[in-house]
Amino acid sequence: MSSAEHDEQLNLLQTITMEVAAAGDVGSALEIVLRRVCEKTNWALGQAWLPNKEKTLLECGPVWVCGGPELGSFRTESEKNQFPPGIGLPGRVWQSKAPAWIDDVRDDTNFPRAGAARKLGLKSAVGIPILSGDEVIAVIEFFMREPRHENEQLVKVIAAVAAQLDLAMERRFVTAELSRTTQILQSILSDMGDAVIVADKHGNFLLFNPAAERMFGQGAIHTPPSEWPQRYGLYLPDKVTLFPYEQLPLRRSIRGEEVNNIEVYVRNEKVPQGLWTRITGRPLREATGELLGGVIVCRDITAIKEEEFFRAGQSNVLEMIAADKPLIDVLTSLVLLMEGQAEGLRCSILTLSRDGQHVLHGAAPSLPEVYVKAVNGLAIGPRHGSCGTAMFTRKPVVVTDVMTSPLWADYRKLAEICGLSACWSTPIISPQGVVLGSFAMYREEKRGPLPEEDRLTNIATHIAGIAIERQRQQEMLREREARISLAAESADLALWSLYPEDGTAWMSEKGRAIYGFEPDAKLTCDSILSRVHPDERAKVKAEYDSECAIHGKFESEHRLLLPYGKVRWVIMRGRCLKDESGKIIETIGVTVDVSSQKQADLQLQVQREEMAHRNRVSLMGEMTASFAHEINQPLTAIANNAAAARRFIERGNIDPSLLQELLQALIADSRRAGEVIQGIRSLVRKDTSVHTRLNLNAIIEDTVRLVGTDIVSRESVVTTELDPQLPQVNAAPVQIQQILLNLIMNALDASEGLKPAERRIIISTRSDKGDVAEVTVRDFGVGLPKDRPDKIFDHFFSTKQKGMGMGLAIVKSIVEAHGGTITGENAADRGARIVMRLPAARGEIEKNKAAA
Amino acid sequence: MSEAGSADEVCLLDDDVSVLNSMRFLLLAEGFKVRAFSNPEEFLAHASNNPVPLLVTDVWMDRVTGLEVLARLCAISPKTKVIVITAREDSAARATATAIGPIAFFIKPFDDEKFVAAVRQALA
Repeated sequence: MSSAEHDEQLNLLQTITMEVAAAGDVGSALEIVLRRVCEKTNWALGQAWLPNKEKTLLECGPVWVCGGPELGSFRTESEKNQFPPGIGLPGRVWQSKAPAWIDDVRDDTNFPRAGAARKLGLKSAVGIPILSGDEVIAVIEFFMREPRHENEQLVKVIAAVAAQLDLAMERRFVTAELSRTTQILQSILSDMGDAVIVADKHGNFLLFNPAAERMFGQGAIHTPPSEWPQRYGLYLPDKVTLFPYEQLPLRRSIRGEEVNNIEVYVRNEKVPQGLWTRITGRPLREATGELLGGVIVCRDITAIKEEEFFRAGQSNVLEMIAADKPLIDVLTSLVLLMEGQAEGLRCSILTLSRDGQHVLHGAAPSLPEVYVKAVNGLAIGPRHGSCGTAMFTRKPVVVTDVMTSPLWADYRKLAEICGLSACWSTPIISPQGVVLGSFAMYREEKRGPLPEEDRLTNIATHIAGIAIERQRQQEMLREREARISLAAESADLALWSLYPEDGTAWMSEKGRAIYGFEPDAKLTCDSILSRVHPDERAKVKAEYDSECAIHGKFESEHRLLLPYGKVRWVIMRGRCLKDESGKIIETIGVTVDVSSQKQADLQLQVQREEMAHRNRVSLMGEMTASFAHEINQPLTAIANNAAAARRFIERGNIDPSLLQELLQALIADSRRAGEVIQGIRSLVRKDTSVHTRLNLNAIIEDTVRLVGTDIVSRESVVTTELDPQLPQVNAAPVQIQQILLNLIMNALDASEGLKPAERRIIISTRSDKGDVAEVTVRDFGVGLPKDRPDKIFDHFFSTKQKGMGMGLAIVKSIVEAHGGTITGENAADRGARIVMRLPAARGEIEKNKAAA
Repeated sequence: MSEAGSADEVCLLDDDVSVLNSMRFLLLAEGFKVRAFSNPEEFLAHASNNPVPLLVTDVWMDRVTGLEVLARLCAISPKTKVIVITAREDSAARATATAIGPIAFFIKPFDDEKFVAAVRQALA
């Protein structure tokens, strides 16, 4: 090689190197190389081959240079070809990763384009690989018209020039790779529902995906970050306070913070309905850790949030119901809640009147007042608008256009004035199947409800049902309370509550009047107790304490002593309310003023006692034999003894021991006479009501003894069959004796017509289950009236010639005053049986049960 | 009844012991021999084995009435004289007693002079 040639080649290399370095991209660098090599080293045509993506074939690259237009056909031929490794000139270079020289392509067996080359007279060719590291990233080839032997020097120069390309080529690949990745990323980001925003550390937006544009209503605006909240309408969850710029998630992530799940409310001109977004942000850093910027991902949580608010709204309405807020407030809140769930939705609630015939205004905050007023009070029926019909048919009624629906024929004018088009109404029905009202939705569009609207209707009718039913129950309760308190006021009834914990008390107005308290006086348990008559106060208090502790309730009849000395008879009845531990927290009760009844009762009792007394006096008249005998016996003895003593003294023959015996007898007989008189006195005494615990068997024996003389004088026999297990009773002894005397005297009277041997009376006792003492007086006489044996207990009924017919009536009243019963019946064979049953005294039952 | 009865002994019969004793004292004070019975059966047993010149008896007594005693005494000792005492004046009783034939009839309480006189007369 000549030195001139060598210089030229060096010059070429230098030029190309500079030009390639200055080239803007790979394409132009490649073109520079191909053109300069052709020009400077006399090649007719130069072009590049690039591996396909799979790196299985070489394809013709976009850049080529040639010495004349006639060579275009070879280029066309080349573009038709693809070479696998080893095939053709490019394939050979690709495989060997080394330059290849062909002296004359026409003679080469591995040159598929030989035909095209022959036509154009192309003979010599050279292929040079462009390597990046070990990899062939392109193959360039050159052709010339004259046959030429391989020029090693030339190949080296071309190879050296080509080596300039590899840097440029490599950069191109990286860029392509990057742009591909970016494309994928872009497509992902644009398809993503979540908004993604990337900003550099100065707050310039690098990425603002379509979702972000939708979410914030606009794309990236070049504006200072401090204006972001205002420009994009970013608010705190209260929906009114602008989000503090420094706290914005993107701002914080740019500062290097990781932020998670920050809720931001977005509302601006483009997003007038507002939306909720939950934002997560991360800082972007270089490998070195240097902050580049930040990225945020924002998720639209409006649906979730609204559901949350909706639920909270429902809870709020339910709480209002529980707190017994006025029904109109509850229903209005409910309607507003429903209306808030969909754009352009208006709702109303109507209730059904108690008679089930008319609609009443419930709540319709968004409907014109004229409409509300017109609807209120309308009748329900089969063609009475949406609501009237829904309540009537108990089924939902969907009217998509009120102007054409026959149901609205009578209300069209009204609907037109109010701008209503569609009206869907659903009846509100209680769990018991009672129609309570209706819930209606109105829209200006002519259509039926969407599934979401149906869902709202279900919720609304459910809640409204609860509210209306509750209000009805409250009303009923109030009415009942009013009735009760009315009854209490009119019935001399005091209502009261005692709170033992702090000793305070409450009493109704009437109660204060009964107890003589001022209407506004502060009451305590003690002040109420202080009104109890002093004679009974301790007893009442003790009974109250023990009864409440044991039974949790209390009943007492006692007197009140009011200021200025007025006395009232009252019955006090109370019930204790206890907490879980059994402690009494409150005693509630009533006090009834029974003074007037008591007065009547007392009067009746006086009359009854008067009657009973007369009965006893008349009984004694019938018992003359017995009394005469009883009195005469001791009197006779006294008279005889006194006479004997006188006679001893007259005779002057006094044995002191005999005299002493006489005097002793005198004393004893006097006492005996006194006792008889005492017994008679007790029978004729008026007040005989003192109760004591009695053994009926003993009284029976005493009584039989008392009338013994009469029994004998009537030639009758009284026998007793007494049950030793008979429980004791609590009774007035004289009254029981009076009963027995009446029964015995009656039995004697009834036996009068019999032969003396048949004049028998049997008095028996028995215990009935230990809680009743039963006494039966049986005779064998004339018997009781057949039609109605119990008639004998009527006043003025008598089968006897003499007598007033009061005896058994009085007996019955005495028995009943003792809480007992008395019945009469005819014995199967003959005669009568009178059975008296008295309750056993308290304590007797337990005693008997224990004995059993 | 250890001592045997005698012809001048007065028998007394009354189930009321205090009345019985008072009559005994009265007759003892006047110096009579007296034998007192509160049980009719015991008296009747005594009368069966001993002379009883005079019986003073109460008419109404439990179990056996005075009249029944008188009827049986009549069979045992027809010569015994009887003085009847009663607590209650009863026409039927008086009639029956009269039929049996008491020598005197007293209603309690009675006059001691007349009673003592009647006893003395009966034993005379």
